[in-house]
Amino acid sequence: MLIGNNLSKTYPSKKALEDVSIQIAAGQICGLLGRNGAGKTTLFKILCGLIKPDKGKVIINSKQPKPVGGIIERPGLYNYLNAHDNLKIFAGIQGVATDRDAIHQHLLKVGLPLDRKDPVRNFSMGMKQRLGIAIALLNDPECLVLDEPFSGLDPIGVASLITLIQRLATEENIAILLSSHLMGELSRCCHYLYVIDDGRIVNAGTAVQLINDHISSFSITAKNISSSSTLEKYQTIQGINEVKVVCNAKEIPFLLKELLKEGIEVTACTPDLTLEELIKSNR
Amino acid sequence: MKSLLLAETMKIAKQSKTYYALGAIFLIELLILITAYYQGSTILDLLLDNLKQSFYFEGTLLNGNLIMYIVLNSLWFNVPLILMIVTSGILTDEYKDGTLQTVMLQAVKKWKFMLAKYIIAVCFTLFVIVFMMISTCVLAYSIFGKGDLVVYLNTLNFFESYDAFRRICLAFVSGAIAMVFYCIVSITLAVFIKEAAKTWIASALFLVITNLLLKVDFGLKVVNNYFFPKLIDTWQQLFYYETDWLHILANNMVLILYSFALTIWGIVVFHKKDIG
Repeated sequence: MLIGNNLSKTYPSKKALEDVSIQIAAGQICGLLGRNGAGKTTLFKILCGLIKPDKGKVIINSKQPKPVGGIIERPGLYNYLNAHDNLKIFAGIQGVATDRDAIHQHLLKVGLPLDRKDPVRNFSMGMKQRLGIAIALLNDPECLVLDEPFSGLDPIGVASLITLIQRLATEENIAILLSSHLMGELSRCCHYLYVIDDGRIVNAGTAVQLINDHISSFSITAKNISSSSTLEKYQTIQGINEVKVVCNAKEIPFLLKELLKEGIEVTACTPDLTLEELIKSNR
Repeated sequence: MKSLLLAETMKIAKQSKTYYALGAIFLIELLILITAYYQGSTILDLLLDNLKQSFYFEGTLLNGNLIMYIVLNSLWFNVPLILMIVTSGILTDEYKDGTLQTVMLQAVKKWKFMLAKYIIAVCFTLFVIVFMMISTCVLAYSIFGKGDLVVYLNTLNFFESYDAFRRICLAFVSGAIAMVFYCIVSITLAVFIKEAAKTWIASALFLVITNLLLKVDFGLKVVNNYFFPKLIDTWQQLFYYETDWLHILANNMVLILYSFALTIWGIVVFHKKDIG
């Protein structure tokens, strides 16, 4: 379990964190949502022990030599070395096995190919993230902290990384903390969400609860949706292939039923929850 | 510690800039050799025409020993500058690539990591000086042969061939201590500055200022004797005919003490600093 209690940090230019408390249980995936500059990276650096807080305390219930593994901002890799040598260096410096089989196991765990011998500078962002996670997982930490793990990834890369993160939480019981400024990715994989703004936690709750409580519109995709009479009762914004309908989560089952009755075949219905709404609602 | 040193060795061995540095130093040697081969005799004849009428010199004066001495003079600026750029990169590259954060997120002690950096930088510096000495030795003696050495330092200083070689070897040892000092300065600067380009500028500035201060009379004997800029030319004192061996030894020891002090300072500062 990873706990941060009343953490505060001030840089000469600004106050980065103010009285932030956060906790992640074993096997749980927590998301930290916030705009750029909200204090996510500072909080992550404090939780990982890279910087010291001015106030507050980090508590980690672990007897491991490396209790927290992580990637902060981007995976820091030796770009002139291949994946095998990168792992060998990071494993070697902390006394973890560096034999061929052990390194192969680490590569396979994160789904990296064994036959890539070229330097990691040639790797895609997704592969670099995976290698970064493999390095973070060396020495079996009980907590994993991933700062903006989805940035620079294509949708397939995001989906594949989410699967990996979920597997690590479920199968290895690792407490995982992720950050992002994009709602979609975090709401797909997190059990619990924290919203940070101006260095303060402004909203928190289970992902389902936060989504249900704060959704005010849905995007509905259907073939002939512009001819719908049901939608006339709602405030809508017409898009090219979809219609944005202003309503809350409770109204959606009824709305979809009515559309179906009209003979409109809905192919997608996505909640439009933005970060701004989560921040605004607690101001 | 052993594993940290192995990792640092692997990193330095796999980086292309290490070989660029060795190539640059070898290129300097080659240029000196080529210039000496085509123009050396003419210059020496002009300089020593009168002396040759009064003294007998064994062998030709344009010989391997003179070439070695000329190459040694690259310890004033060229070699330390190259070394400072490469060795500061041992740390600044880690800041730039974000690998320092990755290392600090592992079960590694900060002070041990930094100490390993200093040790590897010193080993690399010594390796470069040995490489420089052996490559020059092989090329210079095989092309120009042996002979007496004449050096102009305030006055003309003459050394017989065997004595010249001995002094050149000792000068390389003393020069290596000065180069180690410079490389430790560059890493310590990198601890404070973090950015590669700024560290290079600061290192070059340090080198220039040190060379300028070498000529300044500070008025106080202690400062004139033991202030670090006054110690970096110790290797050249081996080419005065009347050699103060004790003074040379003391200078080198003090420079080693300066290097240790800087190393400890760099490690303490790095240990206290946030990584971010």
